[in-house]
Amino acid sequence: MSEPVIFHFKKPGLQTMVQDLGRVGFQAFGVPTSGVMDKSSAKIANWLVGNPRENPVLEITLLGPQIEIKGNCQIALTGGNLSPTLNGNPIPMYETIQVDSGSILSFGRKLGGCRTYLAIRGKWQIKKWLGSYSASAHSGLELTPDSIIQKNSSLQVLSQLPISKRLYSKEQRPIYSRSVRVRVLPGPEFDSFSPLAIGHFFSRGYQLTPDSNRMGYRLDGQIKDFNPKREVISSGIIPGTIQITNSGQPIILLADAQTTGGYFRLVNVISHDLDKLAQLMPGDEVWFSLISLEEAKEALKEEKLLF
Amino acid sequence: MMTFQLYGDNALLINFEQKIDSEINAQVISLANTIEKAAIPGVTFSIPAYCSLTVGFDPSLLKLDDLCDKIKTLSSALPMASQSSKKRLLKIPVCYEDAFGLDFPEVMKQTGLPRQEIIALHTQRQFRVFMLGFLPGFAYLGTLPQTLYCSRMTTPRLRVPAQSVGLAGYQTGIYPSEAPGGWQIIGRTPIKTFDPSKGSPFLLQAGDIVQFHAISVKEYLKIDNDISSNTFNWNSIYE
Repeated sequence: MSEPVIFHFKKPGLQTMVQDLGRVGFQAFGVPTSGVMDKSSAKIANWLVGNPRENPVLEITLLGPQIEIKGNCQIALTGGNLSPTLNGNPIPMYETIQVDSGSILSFGRKLGGCRTYLAIRGKWQIKKWLGSYSASAHSGLELTPDSIIQKNSSLQVLSQLPISKRLYSKEQRPIYSRSVRVRVLPGPEFDSFSPLAIGHFFSRGYQLTPDSNRMGYRLDGQIKDFNPKREVISSGIIPGTIQITNSGQPIILLADAQTTGGYFRLVNVISHDLDKLAQLMPGDEVWFSLISLEEAKEALKEEKLLF
Repeated sequence: MMTFQLYGDNALLINFEQKIDSEINAQVISLANTIEKAAIPGVTFSIPAYCSLTVGFDPSLLKLDDLCDKIKTLSSALPMASQSSKKRLLKIPVCYEDAFGLDFPEVMKQTGLPRQEIIALHTQRQFRVFMLGFLPGFAYLGTLPQTLYCSRMTTPRLRVPAQSVGLAGYQTGIYPSEAPGGWQIIGRTPIKTFDPSKGSPFLLQAGDIVQFHAISVKEYLKIDNDISSNTFNWNSIYE
């Protein structure tokens, strides 16, 4: 009934890795959650090929891989647009795509966003570590060797009976801008900051510096009127936490961030808006809006309605 | 005394009195264990730290107010920290010789103590695992005596070898895997504190008690060899 389809990576791309919804529940042992940076794009990609939302996907960043596909299968691409082509012909995103054995999937110019998600219908034949397929942020090649794509890696997927074509409507698809505004809630140490520091933080946009990655985005600039006189005793970190280093630089902690930290935590990006951040690259700009708990609850409902 | 605070839109931060103290940390761990045992539907993870507990929840399954109420009820029935479940004592061998104690010159300079005195201070005391963090399986142990206080390296090392034992402030810790880091390295243990091939890969957990003892390079190699060949008696490290 099912036969393995082989995805052979002739070129790995800049950063191509297997991710799922993350390794939740081991933070007490210092294990970051990891997982896809843009959850809604990954869930939509899996839906387009009839997979459960927890299925792994490939997270492809900025410069895509070149993949030779042996076996007939169904795939779908969502998220950032990196000009995907099949056998040299452009293919649409956000719909189920039938792939014939022997095809070559490639990527080209970045048209919007920076992370593309590739879902493949079927059961992926790779090892889990601590309940998740996600590439580990630490010692990834040792802990999750199947999940880090290198030149000549190959990925086997047990194909399943094809589903009829699915489409995610144009009106619902995200539009990516190089300047975004995200909503935040007050963080644990919000009250330790002066009104001047807080006012200054929200008064401007920040560019992502080149050392931004899946662990965190470092933002250009220092917030004003911040002279910490004490240290925060190391405490839990969750993705979306914005910490301010002692020099005043804001850092947005993301999927691969360590589980504890000792800097002041000014605000937290709401979970829905982390997907927007996932599509930013160094040089892009982010602005912050402080919202109330009630507004955050509304945003959660909105997310449930969408996907 | 606990305070509850929303942390992001899917976590709750419970702060205890903000200081590094065994008794307070015992309360944190006791509450974390009690919440885990209660298996509240919708609770997704917890991060016990020195004097705080972060509890993750799925807001589509569990309302913040309900979670707070449940935790308040559970915490009112907490066993006294001192009477709570028995602690594990682990005896961890460390080789403090030159091959492994990379930063002894710096530690001797900062503390003004001779090498033997530093080793004695590091092995005399029982340390508590206050929390895990930084890397998978990295245990923060404390508290060091005042005389062993050492600041972190000004420029962190790009690669600290796995199982290195280091000092930072009033804390000591064991690197579970090779990683960049700024702790002052005084030795290495042959004991793997993190073994990803095992079903439960973490040797240490918050609340454990650890006592180090000094071994020679020869003993280090013997234990290392026994572990690789699967003949090491793991029970020997538990008291």
